[in-house]
Amino acid sequence: MALKTPPHAVIGTPYRPYRRGVENAIVGGVCGGLAIRLGVNERTVRIVFSLLALVAGLGVLLYMVLWLTRPRSGEDEAIGHRLLGRRRELHRVLIGLIAIVAFLFILLSRGTPNLGVYTWPLLLSVIAAVGVWRGASSDERRHLEDLVKSAPVIGAPIARTRRGLWLRVILGVVLVFIGLRTLNHLRSFGSGTATVFFGIVVLVAGVLVLLAPWWLATLNDLSGERRARVRVEERANVAAHLHDSVLQTLTLIERAAGDETAVTRLARNQERELRQWLFEPDREVPSDEGGTFTSQLHALEGEIENDYGVKVELVVVGDRETDADVLALVAAGREAAINAARWSDATAISIFAEVEPHAVTLFVRDRGKGFDVDAVPHDRQGIALSIRQRMLRHGGTVSIKSSLEVGTEVQLTLPRKL
Amino acid sequence: MTMGQPRVFLVDDHELILSGIRSELAGSVDLVGEADDVDVAIEMILERAPDVVLLDVHMPGGGGLAVLNAVSDKCPTIRFLALSVSDAAEDVISVIRAGARGYVTKNISGPDLLDAIYRVAAGDAVFSPRLAGFVLDAFSLEGVNLEAVDVDPELDQLTPRERQVLRLIARGYSYRDIASELTISTKTVESHVSSVLRKLQLSNRHQLSHWASERHLN
Repeated sequence: MALKTPPHAVIGTPYRPYRRGVENAIVGGVCGGLAIRLGVNERTVRIVFSLLALVAGLGVLLYMVLWLTRPRSGEDEAIGHRLLGRRRELHRVLIGLIAIVAFLFILLSRGTPNLGVYTWPLLLSVIAAVGVWRGASSDERRHLEDLVKSAPVIGAPIARTRRGLWLRVILGVVLVFIGLRTLNHLRSFGSGTATVFFGIVVLVAGVLVLLAPWWLATLNDLSGERRARVRVEERANVAAHLHDSVLQTLTLIERAAGDETAVTRLARNQERELRQWLFEPDREVPSDEGGTFTSQLHALEGEIENDYGVKVELVVVGDRETDADVLALVAAGREAAINAARWSDATAISIFAEVEPHAVTLFVRDRGKGFDVDAVPHDRQGIALSIRQRMLRHGGTVSIKSSLEVGTEVQLTLPRKL
Repeated sequence: MTMGQPRVFLVDDHELILSGIRSELAGSVDLVGEADDVDVAIEMILERAPDVVLLDVHMPGGGGLAVLNAVSDKCPTIRFLALSVSDAAEDVISVIRAGARGYVTKNISGPDLLDAIYRVAAGDAVFSPRLAGFVLDAFSLEGVNLEAVDVDPELDQLTPRERQVLRLIARGYSYRDIASELTISTKTVESHVSSVLRKLQLSNRHQLSHWASERHLN
């Protein structure tokens, strides 16, 4: 069932289920979503989480856990769930994890005895963050990329100028240095948790400032590469289709160069086929006895253009499923159209069909030489008769209007049974 | 310059099409210029103020729609006839909603194209059978009952006479054929079609307003 989650918290009105917010998200939408879920002010939730973060980093950990386990509003799957389903992503997260543990070992070997109660929550949060990054949907990934790019210093337009680069390097190195110093001096100051926290934050910020441009650049490269690959595949598909259809037809046209009717027919066929491929890729192909009324008529259009080399202008308004009556109507229309194609000398035939609540109507019109309806030669009466009989058998009516040098129009009407 | 002939400007990014149209129209209209890209087209159209712009729907750089929007803001008297390779009305509906007076397909015969240009120059609308069918579909009676709340009968419904005229267009009748079939004057047929065009451009019917947005997503 589709549940519509409001984009912002409506105070006093809780919504189920809990989804991470999208429009009111600052980072992961965890707080925003929770505010919507509980019907409380977004800011309140954020303050609570910030305070919790000071209690042994619990707020941060809780945030990351919710980020991984709650689906984003509008998505079905939580990031964690998605990760578990993707082996390759999972491996990458594990590699990230190993790298972080290694980093920690280095810190420990530098003589930092204990990072205090913050250690595990922060470590787990960082691992979770890696997981979030790898498992985010492309929509959320874009949000995060924007977030990173708009962050101060880190995302500042990747400095191409020498000055910007220097500033970045100096700032990064200073931050890393301060962080390491803080962590190093813990032994002498005793391990105050606040100091540890400060040290880690400064250290991480320094690393980010140093590496951000490089990281962002690889990010852009990767998504660019993905886009390029999709484009190449799409191009190959189009090329394959064009080769099988248009190129073949062009060869046939070249061979039939002297035969005007053949060339016109080939061109028209190809045009119809290409047009369908371009503009109506999912129109169904009718079977003999099935499909909708419209698909039957499209098949008829193709058949007449193919066999008789005349242009058919088909317009259908409304649609319905076929049954025996409708098939009879199409068959009668087919005979009328063949009649027009054969005898009228017109280069185009108009077929108009309309499905209305009370009736289905089909018009077949040509602007050819026409004939005198009352003085039909015997060889043509047969066809008119067979159209008429077909329609009568299914409770329909036929009316034929024709005048010399103006054209002929056959109207077939099938009342709809209730 | 010949008096009495409409001043026509061509916009198409295919040189073959341009030269084909040019040779078909030569002598029958006053060709005042042509352009093969959106920006050039906008600038030249505003400078030369033609009566009718024959506008290709599909062009790089925003297509015919970009030209239409830019020009009709500054100079609403210039009339547009859309030229499309596709006869799917859905394909040109956004151009018509933006103000074009009709559309023709690129395989149209010379005399028919000329007829359409003169009609547009005179302020009338040009409806192909396909477009007529599309309008009948979009303004179907069944749709109205469902969303009766925000239906403006002036704009969101067709009169029985307009329906009749559209059906005849869809059946392949020319305006003159329609006039004699319904025993009304050709001018009356034209005014019915113009009124349908106005509704097509201004109506807020779901089927119309949602077309454009759905298309742009793809």
